[in-house]
Amino acid sequence: MIKASNISHFYSDEQVLYDISLEVKQGDFIFLSGDSGSGKSTLLSILSTLLEPSKGEVFLDSTSVDKINNIDMFRQNKIGFVFQFHFLINYLSVYENIELAALKSKKQNIKTILKELGISDLEKRYPNEISGGQRQRVALARALVNEPSIIFADEPTGSLDSKNSTLVYELLSNASKNKTTVIVASHDMQIKDYATSTIRMVDGKIS
Amino acid sequence: MAIFLISSVSQGIIGMYSKMIKTDGDIIITQKGIADTFFSNVDIRLLDKINKIANIKSSYGVVVGASPIAKIPIAGVYGVSRNHFNHYELLDGRYPKDGEVILGKTLSKQIQSKSVKIGSKYFKITGSYLSDIGFEAGGVVMNISDAGKLFNRSSSFILVSVDNPSKIDSIIKLISGLDDNIEVKTTKSFVQDYNQFKIIENSSFVISSLAFAMGLMGIASVMSMIVNSRKEEFGIMRALGKSRFFIIKNLFFETVIMSFSAYMFALILSLIILSILPHIEMLQGYVNGSLSIITASYVLVSTLFMALLGTLIPAWFASKTDPIILINQGCS
Repeated sequence: MIKASNISHFYSDEQVLYDISLEVKQGDFIFLSGDSGSGKSTLLSILSTLLEPSKGEVFLDSTSVDKINNIDMFRQNKIGFVFQFHFLINYLSVYENIELAALKSKKQNIKTILKELGISDLEKRYPNEISGGQRQRVALARALVNEPSIIFADEPTGSLDSKNSTLVYELLSNASKNKTTVIVASHDMQIKDYATSTIRMVDGKIS
Repeated sequence: MAIFLISSVSQGIIGMYSKMIKTDGDIIITQKGIADTFFSNVDIRLLDKINKIANIKSSYGVVVGASPIAKIPIAGVYGVSRNHFNHYELLDGRYPKDGEVILGKTLSKQIQSKSVKIGSKYFKITGSYLSDIGFEAGGVVMNISDAGKLFNRSSSFILVSVDNPSKIDSIIKLISGLDDNIEVKTTKSFVQDYNQFKIIENSSFVISSLAFAMGLMGIASVMSMIVNSRKEEFGIMRALGKSRFFIIKNLFFETVIMSFSAYMFALILSLIILSILPHIEMLQGYVNGSLSIITASYVLVSTLFMALLGTLIPAWFASKTDPIILINQGCS
């Protein structure tokens, strides 16, 4: 499903990833753990096609990312993202933020997902009119709307309280049970209870 | 707005002076080799000879000068032949005799006395007149003989109207033959060739172009800053699968709408200011403006071009950057 082969990455002259190879199967829930600066966010960005590695190759569904003709379309069809700071667009309403990510054929999912996540009454509100926990649920709804085969989450509960964190993990866990591959980079050890396996990063290497 | 106002005001000044000359005659006679009508001296006795030429409808001399009048630092002084007084529509009083003047409507609001000092001499005020030309409305009209004494000349120029416009070239030849010291032209060609107009036009073009260039650089910088401040948003859109084309297309339309709105705002504001300027008493109606369609179109095209340049270049570079780098740049 996801295969990384000899990935190395540099920011200017500084090397942050060292020759990383890994394989993740469909439906796995992977906990990417490590201290700050260990390289887990960089690895997550490379696996999710948001960052081109300095060296090495990433395969998604057995296809090399370098050989994908329309990477934007591929991302929209196959990948969902959840970031620490939700990254909703402030001038769009909750509904419009999700609609922006939705494929034409998946727009009918928006209302259902909003309902499942308990935020259907917020659809007309703007991100600055809702709480942090609600924003993260909107970000999750945006990631799930196209029923992606992979979800990448970078510190998705970093700015949430324990109640909202548990809710996010449960939602990701449910997605994983429905054959969606989930990779979460986090400091929060609570996620271990939901993950099927853990990859620990230390100084840019898998330990 | 700078180019609108500077160009309009200079065009307005040129337009007022052109109108003054064009509406009053078909042919203008000035002193040969003099660059400015203010320095021109044409013998007024030529009028007798000119009037004997066939197809001449009317002719009259004009002395154009400028002088402090009462407390006004500078105002136009027009000395004209008596047969030309009816050009100035009287609002009240009567036309002036020797030693008398009538005041333009704008000037008459500022001078309430019965007489006025022009140069070193006092003139009795006998009335006021209406003129839609700012220079005239803010000036005084007197007999040409009085003006000749004030400015030490016979006449600044002579204007001639003809019965038959098709004979104008032959009439010009005949008048030219009357005196070696004169230059005879149609008023139309005089206005086109007049050095002072060229100086005003060129200097206003340089000033307004510089102001406009600075404005355009400002537009491009502001648009570029706006795009750079939205890098995070573009990164998010790219992460959500929106194409580079989608982002650039949206920016293109946003920029066109924003620039066009700003342009319309500047245009309307300039038109309002230009309509107010002639009514500001302190300016005596001398500062007038006329905005040409060519100037307005030029400003529109340049504004849109620079705004798009300022937007699309950084947007193009941003679109080629990895989405996560854009997102992180936006956060930092």
